[in-house]
Amino acid sequence: MARYAVRFENVSKQFRRGQIHDSLADWIGAGWGRVQGRGRVGPAQAFWALKDVSFEAAPGEALGIIGPNGAGKSTSLKLLAGILRPDGGQVHVNGRLGALIEVSAGLHGDLTGRENIFLSGAIMGMGRREIDRKLEGIVEFSGLEDFLDTPVKRYSTGMTARLGFSVAAHIDPDVLLVDEVLSVGDVAFRQRCEARMRQLVDGGTTLVFVTHNLEQMRGVCHRTIVLDQGKVTFVGDPGQASERYLRAMMQAGERSYSDCPPGEQMAGEVRDVRFINAAGCDTGIVQADEPATIEITFCLKSAIRRLSVEVSTRRLSGELFVNFNSARQGRWYDAPAGVNRVRVHVPSLPYAGGNYVAFARLWDADRCRVVAESPARYPLVIDDRGQPTGVLALPGTWEPRCEPVPDRAIEAPAGVGV
Amino acid sequence: MHVIGPSSAAAELLQYRQLWWCLTWRDLRVRYKQSLLGIAWAVLIPLSTTLIFAFVFTRAVNVVAAMNLDMPYVLFAYIGLVPWTFFSASLNGCVNSLVANRNLVTKVYFPREVFPLAAIGSSLLDFCAAGTVLAGLLVYYHLVDPGWSYSPPATLLLLPVVLCVQVVLTAGLGMLLAMANLFYRDVRQVFGVAINLWMFVTCVVYPLPADDSVTGWIVAANPMTPIIEGYRNCIIHGELPFTGRFACAAGVSIVMLALGWWWFRRKSHRFAECI
Repeated sequence: MARYAVRFENVSKQFRRGQIHDSLADWIGAGWGRVQGRGRVGPAQAFWALKDVSFEAAPGEALGIIGPNGAGKSTSLKLLAGILRPDGGQVHVNGRLGALIEVSAGLHGDLTGRENIFLSGAIMGMGRREIDRKLEGIVEFSGLEDFLDTPVKRYSTGMTARLGFSVAAHIDPDVLLVDEVLSVGDVAFRQRCEARMRQLVDGGTTLVFVTHNLEQMRGVCHRTIVLDQGKVTFVGDPGQASERYLRAMMQAGERSYSDCPPGEQMAGEVRDVRFINAAGCDTGIVQADEPATIEITFCLKSAIRRLSVEVSTRRLSGELFVNFNSARQGRWYDAPAGVNRVRVHVPSLPYAGGNYVAFARLWDADRCRVVAESPARYPLVIDDRGQPTGVLALPGTWEPRCEPVPDRAIEAPAGVGV
Repeated sequence: MHVIGPSSAAAELLQYRQLWWCLTWRDLRVRYKQSLLGIAWAVLIPLSTTLIFAFVFTRAVNVVAAMNLDMPYVLFAYIGLVPWTFFSASLNGCVNSLVANRNLVTKVYFPREVFPLAAIGSSLLDFCAAGTVLAGLLVYYHLVDPGWSYSPPATLLLLPVVLCVQVVLTAGLGMLLAMANLFYRDVRQVFGVAINLWMFVTCVVYPLPADDSVTGWIVAANPMTPIIEGYRNCIIHGELPFTGRFACAAGVSIVMLALGWWWFRRKSHRFAECI
């Protein structure tokens, strides 16, 4: 068996911005423009989606790829899948490849669910007999038994994705590429997908998983790569990788979770939100069961007499998690113009361990308007000293031993018992 | 490994024959879904075109007599129009095949030749359906037309050879057109006009003389004319289709396929980016 299942060797991929001639008229137009000395395709038009990227995954390894939008994650997967060809370097894949890049790509709306299973299976490289053999499993996995003879165009988005994934989950590939397909479907289905991925990995499949959902990535992957602007910035432990990713996100000021577009006429600006742990460190890493301080620094253009301050944390998957609002405690600040700082002390942050992002909002209670709002970009890493599960890490003390109790089923009259 | 040498191109394509069949079946299925007459359309299209030309050439202007045909005009036109419909419908499917499957081209890897080849496949099934009706027409004219009788010649067995040459030509052209349309959408419009013109410089609905005139020169250079004559030779005349011009057409077809396929493969890694 080869030493690696997937290997990127100094891979580069260049894309061109604009100047793709869709019609002959464009092409002639561009040619004419060039003759006249304008509209020249300069080097600025080209950009590197990936530049000199190298990594590999051993057989049976689950490799995560994370990074902000435009970092080159999907490009990497498409290169692995053979859809794109690198402009430099080499891509190697050992074994049968299965790609869940867009599971509903192969589905056709006019065909029924059953017909689509065969079509989509063939597109993913399964033979007719293989699909026949797996049909029952696929149908059961999708949970769409009752809709098999309904055209897929009448399916909901979630159902379509479930159908697509169910076929894809049965490819039994040596190398499985997964790109953010699990964000569709309900929670139960998402868990089934995750379980299936883990099952495949345990069975020796190599997994390359691109996602924005860091929890999911940590739950599945052994090792994670952080990509940023086409370069590998980190390779290693998934936990550390998500921290790196958060920092990159903070520096880039990614606004993907921000509710409010940045306004030019804002009367102020949030400068910083920091989480300080019990030891007084402001690294953003906080123990779930220890007291912490949140420090908000902001700048006002003019003095505000009744200012309320609000800090919210979100999970990386986007939901609003916890909100601290000074107004709710009847606290309004008389804040002068210039840079100000305000703190809120919390006895503990009993979140489930993992990564969160925070943002702050300032509210002028007299004029009833938002003074400033930051994008969600300030990282908070909670360490709950255990496996990340659930939503909260509440303290609980377990009794030292379990004790026997009488079983009612046994006491019940014969014939009625279980 | 994705680096595939030219020698293994055919082997790789062979691996995906299952997918080719699935896409062919999908195209066919989707074409006749939600349609009352379904596959009957495969017969009705060439048949109604035949009747239109029969009307024009016998009732509107009576030129059929001047054609010196040795068979009823309807048979002549139908035997021309069925392969021609196959040819033009295949190419029409090919032109759009990559662009219409944008989803698959950008998301899934498999040899992209499968798309135009599936377009040809689904038209081939239409062709077979339309071909069976020809038997009925032959029997009908044998019984009804007193001046004409028909007995099936042995050369019918050579029909697959003629069909094969046509498929090779169509595949080569189809790959070129599919690829060209992916890069420049004008190709589709130009194709729409060109295919109409092409029909009238091919002996589809009237015989064409191969003389020294400009028309004669075009007819001689057009590989579709000997192919369609080949069908008539096999079915009606009982003559071997292997004339010198047919051999030329076969040569042109093979060159076209080699060129089309080579070029298609050379450019196929750019499809996902440029589509």
